[in-house]
This record gives sequence, C-alpha cells and structure tokens, in this order.
Amino acid sequence: MPTLTLKFKKDSAKIKEYRLERGQSISIGRRENNDIVIENLAVSGHHAKIDWTGNGFLLTDLKSKNGTFVNDQLAISHWLKDKDVITIGKHIIEFQYGQGEVQPDDQSDDAMGETMVMDTGKYRSMLAKNVSSMAGQGQGQEAGIGMLSFLAGGEGEVELTKKLTKVGKNASSDIVVSGLTVGQTAATISKRPDGYYLSYVGGMSKPRVNGATVKESVALKQFDVIEIGSAKMQLISKG
Amino acid sequence: MIVIEAAGQTDVGKKRKGNEDSLYLDDDLKIYVVADGMGGHQAGEVASGLVVKTIQDYMRSIRNNDDAEELVGIDQRLSKEANRLLSSIHLGNRVVFQKSEDKPGYKGMGSTVSAVFFTDHTAIAANVGDSPIYLIRGHEVSNLSVLHTVIAEQMAINPDAERQLSRKFKHMLTRAMGIDRTVEPDTCEIQCFKDDVIVIASDGLTDKVSPEEIRDVVGEHPPQGACQGLIDLANHRGGDDNITVIVLKVAELQEEKGGLLKWIARLFK
Repeated sequence: MPTLTLKFKKDSAKIKEYRLERGQSISIGRRENNDIVIENLAVSGHHAKIDWTGNGFLLTDLKSKNGTFVNDQLAISHWLKDKDVITIGKHIIEFQYGQGEVQPDDQSDDAMGETMVMDTGKYRSMLAKNVSSMAGQGQGQEAGIGMLSFLAGGEGEVELTKKLTKVGKNASSDIVVSGLTVGQTAATISKRPDGYYLSYVGGMSKPRVNGATVKESVALKQFDVIEIGSAKMQLISKG
Repeated sequence: MIVIEAAGQTDVGKKRKGNEDSLYLDDDLKIYVVADGMGGHQAGEVASGLVVKTIQDYMRSIRNNDDAEELVGIDQRLSKEANRLLSSIHLGNRVVFQKSEDKPGYKGMGSTVSAVFFTDHTAIAANVGDSPIYLIRGHEVSNLSVLHTVIAEQMAINPDAERQLSRKFKHMLTRAMGIDRTVEPDTCEIQCFKDDVIVIASDGLTDKVSPEEIRDVVGEHPPQGACQGLIDLANHRGGDDNITVIVLKVAELQEEKGGLLKWIARLFK
C-alpha cells in the first residue's frame, strides 16, 4: 500500500510516515481531527483530502487559504502518481507506492482528462511562473464593441452593445429604418463569440452587405457597408 | 413559430466508473441543457444534476408566471428571454455553491453548463465552462459558446499559447458553476434558419471528435441517429470520459412576414 511521508521542507528528515489503504479516505489539515495534522498557521483547518476512487487516489484541495501544490503546480484536484510531492504550507508530503505494488494504469492521459477549476486569483500568478515568455494581461476577453455609423438614411452612430440588435420598420426596433418593402424586423445583428453576424429576418427587400444580398446570415467585418431599406451604415469597431 | 427536432443522449464512456454528466431536454419550453460535473466521489454527479434541475424548475415556474421579476438585475444588452435563461443559470450556480458549503463531502464540487433556449425566431446560447455549443449551418461550423479554459483564454491573448502551455492546462477551467458565490456566463442570441443544427456536448465528445466530423455526422443522420453515431465514434476512439450530446435541428420556421408581404402573398395565392 502507498505511503505518505510528511517532511518539513524537501531534504529534511521525515516527521512521520502514514500508510494509505485502498478504499480509505484521509484528511489533511491543522485541526486535530484530521488524519494528518500539520501544526502550522500556513495550513488551513481542513486543508485537503485524499480519496480512493476505485481507480486511483484523488487529492482534493478543500478551498484552503494558501492552496495545495503537487510537484510545484497548484492543484484543485489531482490524481496522485508514484513519487508525487504535495506541498502544503511549508510542509511537503511525498506520495509513494510500495515496492512492487500494482499501481493504477499510468493515468497520465486520464489525469489530464480530469477537469479541474482554477482559482482565478491564483491563476494569473501561476501562469506567469509557468510561462515566463507569455506577454499580456488577461483583460478584455470580450471582443471590442462595434458601432454602426450612418452613411445615409439616418444620422450619427449606433453602438452595437446588445447581443441581438434588431433593425426594421417596427418602432420597437433598435435601429428603425424606413421603406415600403422593409420588414417590421428586416434584419438582426448578432454579437457572437467570434464577432458580429447580420441575418435577414423578413420583408420584401433583403439587406445587403457591400452590395451583396444577404439571404440568410453573414459574418461582418470592420468597414463593411450595410444597406437596409433607405439606411446605409458602416461597421466600425471601437477597438 | 419554430419547430425543433431534438435528441439527446449520455454515455458513461469506456474508462470512467460513473457518469458525472447530466442533460435536460424540454421540447415544450424549447430549452436544452448539458452539464458536466466534477469533484470526485459522487459530487460531480450531484453538481451537474442540481444545475439542470434548477434551470428546469426556474424556467418552468417563470413561464407560468409571465410577469415574474427576474432574480438578478436585467441586463439591457439582452432580450427578455436571454435574461431569463441567465437568471436560471445564476440560480443554478447559487444552489450548487450552497450545497457544497453545507455538506463537507460536496466541498469543491462544480459543473459546467451549456444551454440553448429557442424563442420564436432566435436561439439563445449560454455557457459556463468548457462544454461546447456548435452551430452548423450548411457546411459551416461555428462556436456559440466561449470556452472558459486556461488555454482558450490565453490563446485569445497570444495565439502561440497552445504550444507553450503544457497539456495539463487542457482541462483547467477558469470558470465553473458552484465554485463561487457568483458566476459570469457567456451568452449570445442568433437568428435561426430552417435546417440549422445546434449541437451541445460535453468535452468527452469533443476531445475525440472534431467539429467538422460532428458536422458530417449530423448532416447524414436525423438527430437521434446522430447522437448515437457521435457517442459510438467517441467510444471507438477510447471513450476516456463521459460523453453527452444533444442535437437540435430547426425543422420548421415561420417567417416573420410584414403586412405588405402578407398582402402580396395573398394576391398570388
């Protein structure tokens, strides 16, 4: 059966050794009711746990204040492999299978398949450590807001802040355009993860983008010219 | 008026002992949800189950009470229906979070959620986590979801990130349901066209089957057959994770005809 060896720092002598049996769960923390007690203020009351899951031992951080690390990587949940080093506060726990002991299949692939959630606060700093060459701060993932600037049939600009902007004759439309053959809702402009899309909805006259008639839906690019009824507008992204 | 042909299926896969995915199809409300739970023991199953149950309950109750106030502030950038869907997701997040706080065994559990809700002419997609939502229109496949993974977010900043980051980041989420008191879903609303197909899946499918392959399968089979075909394909390639897929086809769509068009249409009858 695997052993857990508790040490203070990597090369110091072991403080205590624990045996981990299959089918057993153990808790790690500062409070005395844990299976492994680490008396240090950097350790949360209930810091982490290790469960047998039928196909391996799973380490789970119990939302500890200072985090649980495995081989220097922040871990929320982690399938333990032979010789993994768990760091909790300043203490380390070495996980090791017994000699000749049958280990779960090499789950390196499986372990990667395991979904984890990152703590966003810790996430940036950890990434910075992991990929030093990576530039930039993770801000503004939302694509830039676009704007329609009237070239004819209207005045000024309309910001496309809505996820779905309606264009048509109906007075409740976000952009009201006139014209006998224009539909009540003639077209919609949808803000999708990869940019704006214009779709034809109804009415005799179909919208046109850069002169080409839109029968269904088309992706919009910067400076595209959109014609719907009497209105002629140009898409400009606001950076 | 919109008619959706829908099918959904979940499979434990070849490697896992339990199924932590949950799905929910409601042809009456026209809402479809996939949730992929995580958190060891049975907690993942509990989390994803709570997410779909809460969304279902909320959307049902609010339909019977049209004037009901939304739970969270109305987002002016979204339609009324989109606000509803988001409210149900916010509620689902709170329910899972509360449960994980209350019961030690559930500590740290979470789930993804990807939902599609149809109005008369549009489809609203919303997601938290990495369960993808694809739109297949003719030969084109596009993403209606935003993947909340470390790699996806880093790639938005630096396209080389995928090469630089090790594979262990592949399934590392930056957002999930039930991890925090509040959550920020991504959402979009699109105009629907006849024969559009929307596919909601858990990553157990999309790790094994590419978007183009999904397009080809849904192009050749009706929704029910497509679900089975996609699950078989993922299992055939290892089935490392639970596999869940919902295939939605816009079978009929009544156009929004204006007065003039109706009048002209009548003339030619």
